[in-house]
Amino acid sequence: MPGSTIVEDIELIIEDIGGGGGKNSPPGGDDGDEGGKRGWPRVPSSRRYATAIVIAIVSIVMFFMAMASAFIYTRANSNRWVPLHLPWFIWVNTAILLLSSITMELARRRLALADVRKFRQLWFAATALGILFLVGQLIAWRQFVLAGFYVSTNQASSFFYIFTALHGLHLLGGICALLYVSFRKFEKAKVSRSVAAEVASYYWHFMDGLWFFLLALLYLGK
Amino acid sequence: MVTYDSSGSVAPEAPPSGFLARTLFSTGHKVIGLRYLWLALGSVLLGMLLSLLMRIHLVWPGAQIPFLSGFGSTPERYTALTMFHGSLMVFLVLTAAPQAGFGNYFLPLQIGTREMAFPALNLFSFWLTVASLAGMTTAFFVHPGSGLTLWTASVALFCLAALLTALNFAVTTLDLRAKGMTLPRMPLTVWAWFINAILSVLIFSILLAACVFLLSDRLLGSQFFSSLTFLSRQPPSLAQSTLLSLWQRLFWFFAQAEVYVAMLPCFGIVSHLLSTFSRKPVWAERAAVFALCGVGLFGFCVWGQHMFSSGLNPWSPLVFSLLASSLGLPACVLLFSWFGTLWHAKIQLNTAMLFALGFVSLFLAGGVSGLFLARNDLATAPISDEFVTGHFHLVMGVAATFAILGALFFWFPKMFARRLNETLGKFHFWLTFAGVYCVFMPMHWLGLMAHSRMPGVDLPAAVPPGASLRTFVTVATILTVAAQALFLLNFIWSLWRGEKTEDHNPWRATTLEWSVPSPPPIANFSASEPMVYRGAYEFSASGAATDFVPQNVAPAPVERASQMKQATEASTKEK
Repeated sequence: MPGSTIVEDIELIIEDIGGGGGKNSPPGGDDGDEGGKRGWPRVPSSRRYATAIVIAIVSIVMFFMAMASAFIYTRANSNRWVPLHLPWFIWVNTAILLLSSITMELARRRLALADVRKFRQLWFAATALGILFLVGQLIAWRQFVLAGFYVSTNQASSFFYIFTALHGLHLLGGICALLYVSFRKFEKAKVSRSVAAEVASYYWHFMDGLWFFLLALLYLGK
Repeated sequence: MVTYDSSGSVAPEAPPSGFLARTLFSTGHKVIGLRYLWLALGSVLLGMLLSLLMRIHLVWPGAQIPFLSGFGSTPERYTALTMFHGSLMVFLVLTAAPQAGFGNYFLPLQIGTREMAFPALNLFSFWLTVASLAGMTTAFFVHPGSGLTLWTASVALFCLAALLTALNFAVTTLDLRAKGMTLPRMPLTVWAWFINAILSVLIFSILLAACVFLLSDRLLGSQFFSSLTFLSRQPPSLAQSTLLSLWQRLFWFFAQAEVYVAMLPCFGIVSHLLSTFSRKPVWAERAAVFALCGVGLFGFCVWGQHMFSSGLNPWSPLVFSLLASSLGLPACVLLFSWFGTLWHAKIQLNTAMLFALGFVSLFLAGGVSGLFLARNDLATAPISDEFVTGHFHLVMGVAATFAILGALFFWFPKMFARRLNETLGKFHFWLTFAGVYCVFMPMHWLGLMAHSRMPGVDLPAAVPPGASLRTFVTVATILTVAAQALFLLNFIWSLWRGEKTEDHNPWRATTLEWSVPSPPPIANFSASEPMVYRGAYEFSASGAATDFVPQNVAPAPVERASQMKQATEASTKEK
């Protein structure tokens, strides 16, 4: 099931639209037995988490798109735009976040091989790198402040702070999810470790991609 | 607290015993749905009183009303009054009641599941909504400067709540449907809630972003909507309109689509009611589903329609105008579907049906003036606010309220095992129906009289043109609001003293919520999950013993055998 949920969703929807609809067709030829071993595909309980994270990502994309379009609009129409000099530490942070994503994928590979101990180590490393990224962002802010740029200095600096702050806030949520996967005892949980790791990794990689987008916007749009 | 069984449905445990757990922190979808409805009822009453106050100040500016005179006496207070009225009605009533209220209560029941996908998240978004209502109300009473900050923060909270609710709705509909509940078999209400959830996920993020910008400007001194930014490039005459153009863009991207967020569930509810009380399947059901999708899609694209007067690229008004006009297309499909359903039907004219028909009438009457407003040369036409006010109150505000009332009359027996009084209900319907036409139709006329309510102009100075018409509107408003006392009386009386319904299915309807006792037990469905065998609107089917066949009724053996045969034939053909 890991890795195939979105595709599965779409397939199910297409199947639904194309296939069902027959006025009285019994569900997939199922003759009403309780088990439902054949016929209508039963939804595994954990699929809702993957669906939810995909929809949440769509919503977050819209949120940042609104912000990005405000940036582009202001950049194009303002005559008081002061070009931005990004603090150099931000590039170090970018490398850290990329490294975190790679570590996470290595961890998930270990989990697929049922090597939970190694998975935990790698997963923890990915989490630590994420926290390191946030600390790095604070250092970058500090550099920016020392260079004389505050939130209210000019429009570009306002955008810089709000982009980094909101991305950081979203990433902090991601770190909570990562810590949950690290420390949760999955024997009693309602999700399996692999599903939790998968869902958390969707979000984490998305945060990674989002950061690249925001950085590109700030860098190219300066 | 919920546990999950292996088949993926949520089985709530026995009701929690603590007082707080049962009341404030209950995660049951029915409890939360009802709470939203109570919240909406409170808000609509408050909102109506505010509108009354506005009308009175508009017509009799010197009127002294005990305790309330201060609220609209200056232009600033009057604006605050309008803003509070609008926020309450749009957010807490039109957005919350049809989607979060009825949706939370009936979506899981109609798709045959026991809970929403994320019950705790549902509870969280409810309390966020309450916090936002409290914030908006406080903002009205405090100093305008801090009031505006508070209002923005409250709206941001509401956005967050709406996003989480929408997420919950979308996941529940996608992943928790009962066996056999394929997408084409979903009731139109479920379709509407689902499409609405997707639209909400997209647009509330935009308003949230705009609110974050505004809050950051107000609290941190950032320069997103800085007044100096755009000024020097523009001629002074344009300055006023360009000043806030970024905010306007973000806001209208949300707000135009928000109209459809309020309307979509109402479309679903009305189609559902019309079919049930016409005892006929929804006419062109699939086209109606596509029309609902179309409303969502076009509604998402027409934001520029509000920007005609604020300096867009010269070509874009044409595009937006075309898009806005093309909204007429899905609207027409829906209207045809409703009329097709009513055609040659044995209509049962009870109060719920009356309200559904009232919705169709108001939607049509209000929608026609929308065609004028979609024109891109409107900015230059001598039409004032009141035309727009009349338009959107008819088509969105009042029409949606009618759908909500229809839904309430329809589902009341399921929620409380009692009926609302039909006689009082009909009285209330006719008074309100006549009343709202008397209030909002003359408003169109006033708008055409090119009355100008420019900011800064003294209210008394603006009174003379059409003064008698305006007084008429105010009197009609007072009477219409007074008529709502009938509804309140009916509602409260029926809650405790209404006629009891022993029957699970008093309306002889087909969807799953009518297959369970009223009010539905905590787990909705008894030990076994429901099975769905047919579409949602099998009324007056040929060969059936009754004039309706519920969705969970298995096909008769003969029927089933022929279907099995067809299925095997089809599968052998494929091979």
